[in-house]
Amino acid sequence: MDKITLKVTRSGGKRASFEVRYRKGMTVLDALTEVREKQDSTLGYRHSCRMGICGSCGMTIEGLPRLACQTQVSSLETDSIRIEPLHNMSVVKDLVVDILPFFDHHRSVKPYLIRKDIKERDHSEREYKVLTEEVQKFLQFDYCIMCGLCYAACPTAALDPYYTGPQAIAQAYRYMADPRDEGWEKRVNLLDTSHGVWRCHMAGACSFVCPKDVDPAKAIQLARMEVLRSRVLGKKGKAGSKPVPPPGAPKEGVKPPPFDYGGAKK
Amino acid sequence: MKREKRFGAGLFSSLNPVGFNLERWSYTVHRATGVVMVGYLMAHIFETFQLTGGATAWANTMSALHSLGPMEMIGLWLVAGSALYHGGNGIRLILNEAFGMFMGKPILPVYPYSPTSLGRSQKVAVWTITVAVLALWVWAGLYLLAGLGVI
Repeated sequence: MDKITLKVTRSGGKRASFEVRYRKGMTVLDALTEVREKQDSTLGYRHSCRMGICGSCGMTIEGLPRLACQTQVSSLETDSIRIEPLHNMSVVKDLVVDILPFFDHHRSVKPYLIRKDIKERDHSEREYKVLTEEVQKFLQFDYCIMCGLCYAACPTAALDPYYTGPQAIAQAYRYMADPRDEGWEKRVNLLDTSHGVWRCHMAGACSFVCPKDVDPAKAIQLARMEVLRSRVLGKKGKAGSKPVPPPGAPKEGVKPPPFDYGGAKK
Repeated sequence: MKREKRFGAGLFSSLNPVGFNLERWSYTVHRATGVVMVGYLMAHIFETFQLTGGATAWANTMSALHSLGPMEMIGLWLVAGSALYHGGNGIRLILNEAFGMFMGKPILPVYPYSPTSLGRSQKVAVWTITVAVLALWVWAGLYLLAGLGVI
């Protein structure tokens, strides 16, 4: 394979072809960069880290949502590569999609630790202690880089723009399973809607395309079980069953010693 | 507020499993068989509704159906296959969604990644259902052919 052809779907649905000389180890992002530098400087696509960390370069490559920086041209086993914007999102320009609705879904599930005592949360004097076994309940879902590939692959999101989506539900469960969090009921109420966990049909496409093995399909089913337990049995599920006491208060009525900052000033 | 048109969204995209995982194919078949069953339900309600027109109306409906010849049995065979797959796969989905079966526990991802929710147990469940449904569907076909007097 000396040359490859990139067939890029550009703004307005027009498809443009670019020929690029193939190099060993070339990624789709490398090929697109070469096109922009040497052939068409108006080609629009988003990228940043080039190493699968930032999640910016998500696009549909050969029919599947993938990160362009992590997709080796050789792995596609074709010299004519179809590249489209991510599905289920509106196009800003060429391969650049509007990810604001996706981020809105993410924000809607309150992806942060909720503590009833806000003062204690914002001005805590000690760290929260979480057991390793408890961390394992949510660490996998913490690896999400918010690339949007799962949302683009989801057949439910293709039909329902209001669907919370695999990424957001996985993040909701990540915090529900965190023993430091006290917003379990709030998130159950957020997920227990007609556009929430019940819309998932377990096609598993989200987990199939996830570049970080966050496994959103698993998180959605776990979140659904939490909602079911809450609604049917009227009690908390496995997640969040052992709330962590506020930092600095290991025993009731005993003032904790101040945190040792190693001599550094607070 | 007017919504921007979303690229690649819609029914075709939702039902197109090409290139995706086995479970996504299963999702598409589940949806298609669901539509067949809803269609059958409507036709069945229409058929039984003819009873309200008396014995003659019912006899006319039956003769119209029988005049379809083998198409009637082929239609019933498709409905049987749809009901079998939708029911079997539905049980798998209930086990997935309500009890977390075949999903695995949260793990520490290690490269090369392999999501446990699409792991071996899930694949075994999908294939077991598919093979069982195919076997029962063949049996249903033979049963219907026997009804026709073909075998």
